[in-house]
Formats: sequence, C-alpha cells, structure tokens
Amino acid sequence: MQQLTPDMILVLVMIGLAIFLFIVEWVRVDVVAILMMVCLPLLHLVTPKEAFVGLSSNAVVSIIAVIIIGAGLDKTGMINKLVKPVLAIAGKSSSRIIVAVSFTVALISSFMQNIGAAALFLPAIQRISKLQKIPLSRLLMPVGFSAILGGTITLVGCSPLILLNDLLIPFHLEPFGLFDVTPIGLALVASGILCFIFFGRFILPQGDVTENQENEHTCALDSSSNLGTEDKCFYELTTSDDFMDYRDTVRVSTLHQRYLVSIIALTEPPDSKTLSPSPDTEIRSGVDLVVWGKKTDVERMAVEEEMQLKDTIECYGEELEDANSGIVEAVISPRSQFTGRSLGVNNFNDRFRVSPLVIHRQEDVYRAKLDDIILQTGDVISFYGTWKRLEVLHQEGGLLFSMPSDLEDMRPEKALWAGGWLVLSLVMIMGFNIQLSVALMTGALGMVLTRVLSIDEAYQSVDWRTIFLLAGLIPLGIATEKTGTAAWIAGSILQIIGDVQPIVLLTVIGILSTLFTLVISNVGATVLLVPLVVNMALAAHTDPRMAALVVGLATSNSFVLPTHQVNALYMGPGRYRTIDFIKAGSLISVIFLVVMIAMIYLFYGV
Amino acid sequence: MSIITISRGSSSLGKAVAEKVAAKLGYDIFSRDLLFKTSGRFHVPQKTLEKAIHDAPGIFERYSHTKKVYLAYIRATLTEMVSRGNIVYYGLAGHLLLNKLSNVLKVRITANLEGRVKRKMAEGLSEQKARAMILADDDQRKKWSRKIYNADPNDSSLYDMAVCIDKLSVENAVDCICRCASRKAFESTSDCIRQSKDLSLACNVKASLVESFPDVGVICEYGNLLVYATQKEAHAAKFKKILLDIKKENYDIYNLEVHTGLAAPANAV
Repeated sequence: MQQLTPDMILVLVMIGLAIFLFIVEWVRVDVVAILMMVCLPLLHLVTPKEAFVGLSSNAVVSIIAVIIIGAGLDKTGMINKLVKPVLAIAGKSSSRIIVAVSFTVALISSFMQNIGAAALFLPAIQRISKLQKIPLSRLLMPVGFSAILGGTITLVGCSPLILLNDLLIPFHLEPFGLFDVTPIGLALVASGILCFIFFGRFILPQGDVTENQENEHTCALDSSSNLGTEDKCFYELTTSDDFMDYRDTVRVSTLHQRYLVSIIALTEPPDSKTLSPSPDTEIRSGVDLVVWGKKTDVERMAVEEEMQLKDTIECYGEELEDANSGIVEAVISPRSQFTGRSLGVNNFNDRFRVSPLVIHRQEDVYRAKLDDIILQTGDVISFYGTWKRLEVLHQEGGLLFSMPSDLEDMRPEKALWAGGWLVLSLVMIMGFNIQLSVALMTGALGMVLTRVLSIDEAYQSVDWRTIFLLAGLIPLGIATEKTGTAAWIAGSILQIIGDVQPIVLLTVIGILSTLFTLVISNVGATVLLVPLVVNMALAAHTDPRMAALVVGLATSNSFVLPTHQVNALYMGPGRYRTIDFIKAGSLISVIFLVVMIAMIYLFYGV
Repeated sequence: MSIITISRGSSSLGKAVAEKVAAKLGYDIFSRDLLFKTSGRFHVPQKTLEKAIHDAPGIFERYSHTKKVYLAYIRATLTEMVSRGNIVYYGLAGHLLLNKLSNVLKVRITANLEGRVKRKMAEGLSEQKARAMILADDDQRKKWSRKIYNADPNDSSLYDMAVCIDKLSVENAVDCICRCASRKAFESTSDCIRQSKDLSLACNVKASLVESFPDVGVICEYGNLLVYATQKEAHAAKFKKILLDIKKENYDIYNLEVHTGLAAPANAV
C-alpha cells in the first residue's frame, strides 16, 4: 500500500476540518465549501483552475437548469392542477390518498429538487387534510419521505445523483444515463409508501390527539366553522363609556400582552372600522372590537377591562364573512426572506395589514410575545386578514399559503409551454444523447424565452447555497483523488475488513453513506465518499460504478433525524417531534438499504 | 399595602429603625424569618442560605450553580411573603431581590464608621476587632452585590431614600420613612398587586427549575408565564415534567409557554 505523504496528510486535515465544520455548524455548509475552494489551491493541493472547475461543472449547470425548470412548472400552476385528478382517483380513503399523493410527489421530485416538490405540495396537502378530515401528521411524513425517495428515480432527482457522473470522470468510468437508476428509485418509492400503508398506524403520530391539543391552545383556525357557534374563536365586545376615564392608555398590544387575544377589528371614533389594527392603536371608550382567542381569555378580558361581550358578531358580520376575510396558515418556506428575523422586525401588521395570531413550531404553540420570536424555516404562522391583503402578503413570497388557489399568482396559459420544454429536455437527453447540462439548460432557456417565467424570476429561483456547496466541494474530491488519499484510505479500510463479498462491501458502503448523510450534507457525503468507495471497489474487485451508485442513492437515506431540508420543512406543519422521525425514519432507512442492495443485485448482477 | 425594604450596614441602627417603622405603620416585619421559612420549604440548612445571601461567591462557586439555586429559593420565599403587602423587610438584598416591584420603598440606612464601631464595641469587643468585623462585613456585602447583581450597595440610585442616622435620631428617620411610604407612588394599586403576584409566580417557577436548569429565565405577565430555555433544556423530559406539575398545581397560570433560541429579557428572573 502507498505511503502516507505530506500532501495526503494535508488533504486528510482538510477533510477532517470540513466534516468538523459540517457537524458543529459554526458557519453555514456552503461557506465551508467556499473555504475548501479557497484553501485547497493555497495549499497547492489542487491547481487554481481545478479549484473553480466545480462552478462550470456539468453537475452545477444541471442543478441550475433543474431549479429553473422546476420554478417554471410551479409558475404555471401545473402542479396544483394535479391535485384534483389525484384526489378524484384517491377517493376518501386515507391509504389511497397517501398512495396517490406520495406517488405524485415522488414523480415530480424526480425532475426537480426534493425540497421544491415538497414545498409545492405543502399547501395542497393542507387543503386535502382539511377537506378529507385526515390529520395532517398522517399525510405529511409519508409525502415528505416520498419527495426524498422520488429524488432517486432519475439522475437529476437529487444533488448527489446529479453530481455522480462528474465524480466518476477521474476514474474514466462510464457515466450513468438519466433513467439508469429508475428501477431502483421506483422500488424505493414503492417500498416507502407500502411501509406507511402497512405500518403507518404504528410509526406515525396519532394525529387526532395532536389536533385536539392544538385546538385547546389556539381554537380552530377555520373561521367559517366556528363563527357563531359555542366554541367560536371570534368574539365581539364593546368598551364601556368611561373606559378611558380611570385607567392608563390601553392599546391593541396591551390587550394581547395581558390576555393573549388578537384584536382583529376595531372601531375608531367617530365611526371608522379598522381591520387588523396596528399594535399601537389606542382602544377608546364606547367602541366595538373583534378579538380572536380562547374563550376563557376573552371572558377574563371582558371582566377585568369591563367590556361587554356580545353573543354574536354584530357590527363586523359583513367584514368577517368568508367571502371577505379569513385565517390562513402560512409556512415559512426554505430560503424565505423572513427567516432569521423576529416577527416584530418583519412587521407583518404594519406592512401588510394582517394580524399574526399564533405560531406553531414543531410541537410547540406560541401565543405570547410573538414579536420576539425569530422565525425559522417550517414555522407555521396563522394570519387573519382580508383576502386582498393576504394576497399581497402571498405575492411578497417566502411563505407557503394554504389558501384558495385562485389567489395565487399563476400563469396557467403557459402550462403547455412549460410541459413542452420539459419534454424537449428529456428527449434531448434520451433520444439524442446530449449532455445533461446542455439539454436541461435548453429547457430552462426555453421557459424564459416563452415567458413562462422572466429571467429575473429564473435567477431568483436558483438556490445559490446548493450551487456553491456543490462547486466548493468538487475540488475537495479532486484533491482526495489526485493526492492518492482516497486510494490510501480505501486500502487501509480494506486491510482492516479483509476480503469480503461484493454484496457485503456494497452494504457496508450503504450503511457508511447513510451515517455520513445524517451528520453532514448529502452533497458533502457524496463528494467525500465516491472517490473512496471507487478505490475500495477497485481493490476488492467489485464494480466501482455500483459502489459509487450506492453512495449516490444512500445519501438520500436521510429519514431518522429531521436534518434533511424536506423533513425540516414538514416538521412544523405536521407538528412532528424528533422522536416521530426516529420511529418512522429508522424503519424506512432499514427498508431503503435492503431494497437498494436487493435491486442492485437483481438489476446489475453484482 | 406598601412594602418597605430597609438595607443597612452592620451596627447602623437599621433594625431599630425597621422595628419602629413597622410599629408606627402597623405593618408586619421580618428579616431572618425569611431564611427560616426558605430552609423549611426547600430543605436547605439555614446556615447555607445565610452564606448564599451574605458571602460573595468563592472561586469554585463561580463555576457551580449552588449560590444561584439558593438565591432563587430565597427570592421565591421573599416574593411570596411580601405579596400580601404591608410589610417591612430589613435584611440582606431586599432592594435587589424585589427590584422588579414598583410599590416597594427601598430605604438605605447609613452611619459613619466611628459610630458603628462604638456600637459594635458595646457588644464587648475591642475597638480593633469591632472595626475589623465591620469592615469585613461591608467588604463581603459589596463583593456579593457586585458579583450577583453587578451593583454597589453604596450606590444611592438603587434606593428611593438614603437616611444618614448620625445627625438624625432613630425617631426622625422613622418619621421620614413613614411619611414617604404614604406617598402615592408607593400605594398598592391593583396593578402593583398583580405585579407582585406575577413576580411571585415567576420566582416560584424559577425555584422549581433552577436546580436542574440553572440558566432558564422566567417572566410572568398578567398570569401568562413564559420560560426562556435552550432547545436542549426545553426537550428534556425532566423539564417538561416540572412545567406540567407547575401548570397542574397553579390555577393562577393562564398560559405557559417555553421560548427557545432567545435570550431571556432583562426583566426575567
């Protein structure tokens, strides 16, 4: 075996540093990748050209194109249109709904980023959950897992697979075709969905209990079903004529601070009705106000502030009608401009004239001091507002709304164009054997030229974090291979484990990749492991392409912890706890490994 | 229904003033009873509690949380004892432990060193020993205040009133304090009573959590309790159990939430 050289030691140090930074997250993963991109040429481990070769790589360009195509499909509302036929096929049975929706999401996810497909389907699933009265927690996890599994159906389904061919170039191995992985991917999706059908009741959280708990805290969010009933959440009150005479100034924010109720409508003298009043608005004597909150809190407020609580909504009946206003749940989307800033700084009330009522984060419900809460991806905010104002907020972007689709800014007339360009890209790849990046970029360009989306929208849709993560880690892979570090590690591992059957070696690689992807990003795990496993396979006389494929697939086996972007996104709306992911994810992870190895054995005869 | 805290150096006639103020206003008075009650309630020896509230943290205590725990216990008992109002508390750190209440009249009694030494000598000590004891005591209190509350006990801005006993008689001082206590600013309004109840609730919750989770912050506003904790703390089974028990036992809590990833605000206990 080759001796350890100073360059190899330096590469090992850099790998160790990258893994360490991935785990501790002192800086974001893409910044770690850029750090590698800069440090490796400075240490003379790669040439300056090699350091930046990732930015122009087939994988990076393909990912940019896939994201733009996905954004185009989204803009035309094609995906929303899929919901109706899918529901018609599925009927009312929850198992059939899970199968139909999960399979549809998996198929869409095979041609766009997993997180994109998951985000697109979230509002639709919320609507299905409400319509069919199926707890969201029983639908979201199967669908989320299917979005991740769907990424393994084609070679452009997820970043590790897109990256795979580029990582094989130094070894002069034959690249994989677009649909080479399809049988394995479909089997993985099918096994995942079947697992939820057969074992769902054991591994999924009991949704109805969660819903009840939630209602206890927040009241139901559906205004139409609660208005005028015993457990209603909107209440109209009138302040006394001497309300301002013997007390300090009471503002909208004061009442929220004291009784955790949201003032959603207020009459300002002489007779001006204000919906979603600003927190600073003063509450005056003899005025009507409508609040949203728990009945006990509202009653307490009425007693302590000497307000008259009315039996029904009288003055604001028209404003609160379903046709004019309502409550929506909005999920903070990935890369939203609202993340990392507090609700108060985002200032939804003053900017959009909508009232944030409550925030859900995983299993927690926040009602107090909402303004201080720093928003995270996956947080669910319930807003009250007129549909017009909610539409303005929706158009601002960064939030995934569960609201009627006619309020969304769609370009349905471009749906044919969008579908056409996607098909053209696929034909170019399959029929004419044109390189992935060129074919996909053609589709993306076509979408811009036919105004499915503007070039600015195309640029905005690109997730630059993913791009730099990929591009920055590619030179680390080159350095690992070029300096002989990969061969050295592979040799050392093989020396330890001795001669093993190819199937055992692939299983070990699968487990290793699964463990890596739980602690570092799937792209990082792929870049680090592919050169290593190819060398290991060569030394053990196993098919190196299959070893690389196992890494490309198994880095999507990220279900046990909510670290995958899709899981993080669905955790809030589904009110999942980490233990829910551990329970369901452990089973799916084991099934994933078994099915993957079995399919590789059956189809590729390893 | 006001609350008066009287802070003093040793041998500064603080006790005499406090007793006379309480007698004149018809208020209850307590000092060491606080430690006695805390000891009984939390099963901690009185001596340990006294050390916690008197002595500055030692080198090792700075890295452990024992002082924090005992102080939380003492504060929980104190806020409960003063919540009924009409109270004179003379003793250690009252002005700091109750600094979040607006109707507390915080009084500092001062006296010159020579007078204090003479009064100490009356206990049968030599002048040298009496002086050394007073100076050591002052030093400990200064260090304690600085370490725990980052405040100097001689800083007059911590008090509403500072009375130098040298030229005034005890009766004069009592008269001044009683007149001040009857001012509108120290009246117990319904707002003050609520504030006091909220503080007591927050301090009791902190006392329940502090042993296992010393760094949590607790605030209570209008019976709505908010606990500031780290993600790790909030997900601990013990943490959840303690909060569940608190919610079950306290009907005065209208809402209980745990906020993570945020620094506790300055008014948190």
